[in-house]
Amino acid sequence: MKILVIEDDAATGAYIADGLREEGHSVDLIASGADGLVQATIGTYDVMVVDRMLPGLDGMSVVKTLRATKNATPVLFLTAMGGVDDRIAGLHAGADDYLVKPFAFGELSARIAAIGRRPKMQDDPISLTVADLDMNLLTRKVTRAGQIIDLLPREFALLEQLMRRKGRVQTRTMLMESVWDIHYDPLTNVVDTHISRLRAKIDKPFGSELIETVRGAGYRINVA
Amino acid sequence: MMPARVLRIRSTPLRLTVILSVIFTAASLACFATTFFLVRANLTAAILSDMQQTVDTFGSTADLAELREHLTEAAVTTDPAYRILHFLPDDGAVIANVKRAAPVSGFAVLPGSDFATSDRPLAESYQVRSLRIGDGQLIVAQSRDSIIEMAEVFAAAVLMGLLPAIGIAASAGLWVARRTQQRIGTIQTALSAITSGQTAARVPGVAGRHDDLSGIGQDVNDMAAAQEALLVSMRQVSTDIAHDLKTPIQRVSVLLDQVMTKTDLSAAQETLLLRAKDETARIVRTFQALLQLAQIEGGAARDRLTAVDLTDIARDVVDFLEVDAEARGLILTTDLTSDAIVAGERQLLSQLLVNLIQNAMLHGGDGGSIQVTVSTGPDGVTLVVADRGPGIPEHERSKVLQRLYRLERSRTADGNGLGLALVAAVCTLHRAHLTLADNAPGLAARIDFPKPPSGTGMFAEGPHLPQ
Repeated sequence: MKILVIEDDAATGAYIADGLREEGHSVDLIASGADGLVQATIGTYDVMVVDRMLPGLDGMSVVKTLRATKNATPVLFLTAMGGVDDRIAGLHAGADDYLVKPFAFGELSARIAAIGRRPKMQDDPISLTVADLDMNLLTRKVTRAGQIIDLLPREFALLEQLMRRKGRVQTRTMLMESVWDIHYDPLTNVVDTHISRLRAKIDKPFGSELIETVRGAGYRINVA
Repeated sequence: MMPARVLRIRSTPLRLTVILSVIFTAASLACFATTFFLVRANLTAAILSDMQQTVDTFGSTADLAELREHLTEAAVTTDPAYRILHFLPDDGAVIANVKRAAPVSGFAVLPGSDFATSDRPLAESYQVRSLRIGDGQLIVAQSRDSIIEMAEVFAAAVLMGLLPAIGIAASAGLWVARRTQQRIGTIQTALSAITSGQTAARVPGVAGRHDDLSGIGQDVNDMAAAQEALLVSMRQVSTDIAHDLKTPIQRVSVLLDQVMTKTDLSAAQETLLLRAKDETARIVRTFQALLQLAQIEGGAARDRLTAVDLTDIARDVVDFLEVDAEARGLILTTDLTSDAIVAGERQLLSQLLVNLIQNAMLHGGDGGSIQVTVSTGPDGVTLVVADRGPGIPEHERSKVLQRLYRLERSRTADGNGLGLALVAAVCTLHRAHLTLADNAPGLAARIDFPKPPSGTGMFAEGPHLPQ
């Protein structure tokens, strides 16, 4: 993907840019809001990463201006502030996602992937399939290798979230947000416990692991 | 949103107006009454003295024949509408200017209808005296019409003068009261807006006026301006700290990440690095929690409260944390009423519940159970999180709500000492009442949410967020 990063802190900017390049993205790094806005307008990007506090024109104004000119490029806000108020203000300004500093690179990478390739809303599937695992979204029946698996509602929701984004990393915070609507840090690694319960039902009895732990990032359900 | 202010007797200006009107009316009536009774006493005295003169005139006549002559002459010349004379001798015919007189003795007040004439009009009321003169009984009745007329004049004066005066005074008073009440109302509205976190609210229309109410309004405005400035500078400081400290922390974690990606690390080095990363994360969490506390205490989120179902939130949170409780060998049970609607902010309430349950899991002792109850009552919704652990000694209960305060025995446990401070701040934001009580054994954290205000505003759709 072609990614524009607007970040005034040189170290953080280089870290983001280098990391994303390593993942195979093409990255432009800009250090000020005004220059960033110009670059965003003349270039075509798949995703923009914008720091909220920038010298000169701040990140909020950059995104608001872009949205006012009908530029719909997905934006991920980076911020030092992390309150609910800030999240809402950021999303209202037109950002697609929000990440509080300091963040792990895995979190940033997973979120960029999520907003950069958002599944289209119209093709809402009836069933999801990964290898020999099937999930029917209407009957809410899950089978693997033809065997019916009984899942609790939260286990179903968690698996659905992973299967809908198969092949892409879902971080623990992304899963908490989408499955439990928790948009704050609950200071617990309970997501890991939920995943291990899910694994005990869909992976363990079948010998092969579909849910993979991605070190430093989160979880991914593999296509193959 | 304040309801339209109606004049109630609770209103000081109106109460003063009513009291003043009552005093004014009572004083005027007392004045009128005093005058009335004085004038009536005078008139009665005049009538009595007039009557006494008549009686004296006849009484001083010693000769009986002369008396009769005098009486006969007087009966012809005296208008019975002014004075009635009626002499009944022991022997002989009645000498009178009326045809009939009521039998009476001594003094009396009688209506005109007790007397009768052939054709001449009579007065309405008479002051009557009956006495023995010479060889007969004399009745002298003096008209009291002057008194009756005077009473009518007084009634007219009260009706035409006093009542309009009271009316004018009362309406003027009410108008003044209403205006004053409105001005007090604007001060009250501004004050309650300011105390509920809208520091930009001001009392309107105080400029250029120099009375006491404008003075109070001006003071309120000055106070609000000072508070607003303080809040702005506090927010600025928080933002600056957040930015200036978090950026270097970000750099540290970036550097740690870069070291981690090096492959030639020994196992010991990697363990140390992981510990360094953990500590960095810990700094960030404490820092984040402090910033969030400051934000919640700023009260800005109060504008964002919408109708939320506490039972929904409790169900989600319990569902989320249940596996954690099981892993610790604890049982997490619930008793949730449906439709537990409160005016709230979903994320903050969810976080409050997570903190209370985690607190119960961390400090609630090994084994045992944690009970989460949501119930509704006439005064609102009540949330209780109760554990069976060692509880909190009574004298420490208020201290644990302060930031960074930790009980001696839990210093070694996980947590940053901000969990219950956040719970307390979220409660204050929601105007909910938090009580830490003895669960015998254990701790019962009880939160009473007020009934959500019915009507507009609060039940408007909350901001919709893209997921």
